[in-house]
Amino acid sequence: MEGRPAEDAVLVERAQHGDTEAYGELVRRYQALATRTAYVITGLSMEAEDAAQDGFTKAYFALGRFRTGAPFRPWLLRIVANEAKNRRKAAGRRPTVDLSVAEDRPSGDTALSPEEAALASERRRFVLVALGKLREEDRLVIAYRYFMQLSEAEMADALGVARGTVKSRLSRAIGRLREITAGEASADA
Amino acid sequence: MPERLGESDLERTLSDIGTRLDGPKLDLWPAVRARIAERRAQPWWSRLGLDRQTLAPIAATLVVILVAAFLLTPGLAARAAEILGLPGAQIFRISTTPTPMPTTSASVSFPGQRAASVAEATRLAGFQVREPTALGAADEIYVELAPVRVTLVYRSRPGLPVSGSLPGISALIVEFKGSLDAPILGKAIGPGTTLEAVPLSSGNTAYWLAGQPHQFFYRDSTGNIQPDTLRLAGNTLLWDAGGITYRLEAQVTRDEAVRIASSFR
Repeated sequence: MEGRPAEDAVLVERAQHGDTEAYGELVRRYQALATRTAYVITGLSMEAEDAAQDGFTKAYFALGRFRTGAPFRPWLLRIVANEAKNRRKAAGRRPTVDLSVAEDRPSGDTALSPEEAALASERRRFVLVALGKLREEDRLVIAYRYFMQLSEAEMADALGVARGTVKSRLSRAIGRLREITAGEASADA
Repeated sequence: MPERLGESDLERTLSDIGTRLDGPKLDLWPAVRARIAERRAQPWWSRLGLDRQTLAPIAATLVVILVAAFLLTPGLAARAAEILGLPGAQIFRISTTPTPMPTTSASVSFPGQRAASVAEATRLAGFQVREPTALGAADEIYVELAPVRVTLVYRSRPGLPVSGSLPGISALIVEFKGSLDAPILGKAIGPGTTLEAVPLSSGNTAYWLAGQPHQFFYRDSTGNIQPDTLRLAGNTLLWDAGGITYRLEAQVTRDEAVRIASSFR
């Protein structure tokens, strides 16, 4: 579930009472998660950072409406995702998946042989391209589950859907992703 | 990718991508803090994110609804006639008349907890709250705690005009942790406002904002630049001493403000 729910709640309460620096701690705690969420929607890392900044700003001014005791993380991600969606709509284009974001960074996985590493890299590239062809909602549900390891309850809050809907939505999204990868594989073969 | 990805391969590859996705290249907090400060400095209606194009039809619709409600409700029209003292209004006698509320305290409120004395405000604020002997004891003292800010309210005082924007208030003194920075002050004042550095008898430099000042920027105790909004939107004297920034708002001349500020004990 939450990393440190009690502390989040304390920081949120302090921020609600005007302690800007307490909010700064929340920003630093969740900026990576927020930027990745925005990135999954915008597909451009610069734009994702900008959307995350605006999302954090909007969330700050919405703190008065934040329900005491609710988890902060999914609430924030929902605001950031909306911000990123608005930007993408305003730009009027499909997201372009910037492969370098996921490729440049070593994962620390040194157990693979050079061949295995090359194969894994090829798979990542392949899956990223397929992800870029998915609908925004499908991409987001996959990202929340596999990129950010959100629990089902958190995913439901972040997506603004009922908990029972999350499982079916995720399996549908994975099914579509599998169809695309299968189509690409047979096209390549 | 010649071969098909198995289910577990697909899930493993997705998790693998997740571990490689980077966060932001730089810490976002300084930029977010600046955006928060910028948005705070805007008037409340612009924080709603509604532009003029959105607001105009809403305002027009409201006017139409109000006019229609007025015209279509006979009771309302009759009540209006009664209020205006037009013919047709009836007079009822009642046994007692309600005590009128003093308008000064009803119309103006200040944020924070009311402190009974300077000593109590000092204890709550965690720093020595000071007041000018030139104005006598404050009528009311309020202490906000996050962030800490003390407001001393002076209602009518002989020789001091009452503010036009806050009924019944002659002067306000606000004390908070922070310091002033002349270049930042100079940049942030709007058109129609002048900034002048003036010496206090204590040797400290004060800044006189005259014209139509509405806000200024200061450096808080953590070194961050923060906006501060003026309540009276009139002439203001600012100075800092010992890590505390003092703000005096009153409709007085510069020399009178300096005299009041020099009487701080």
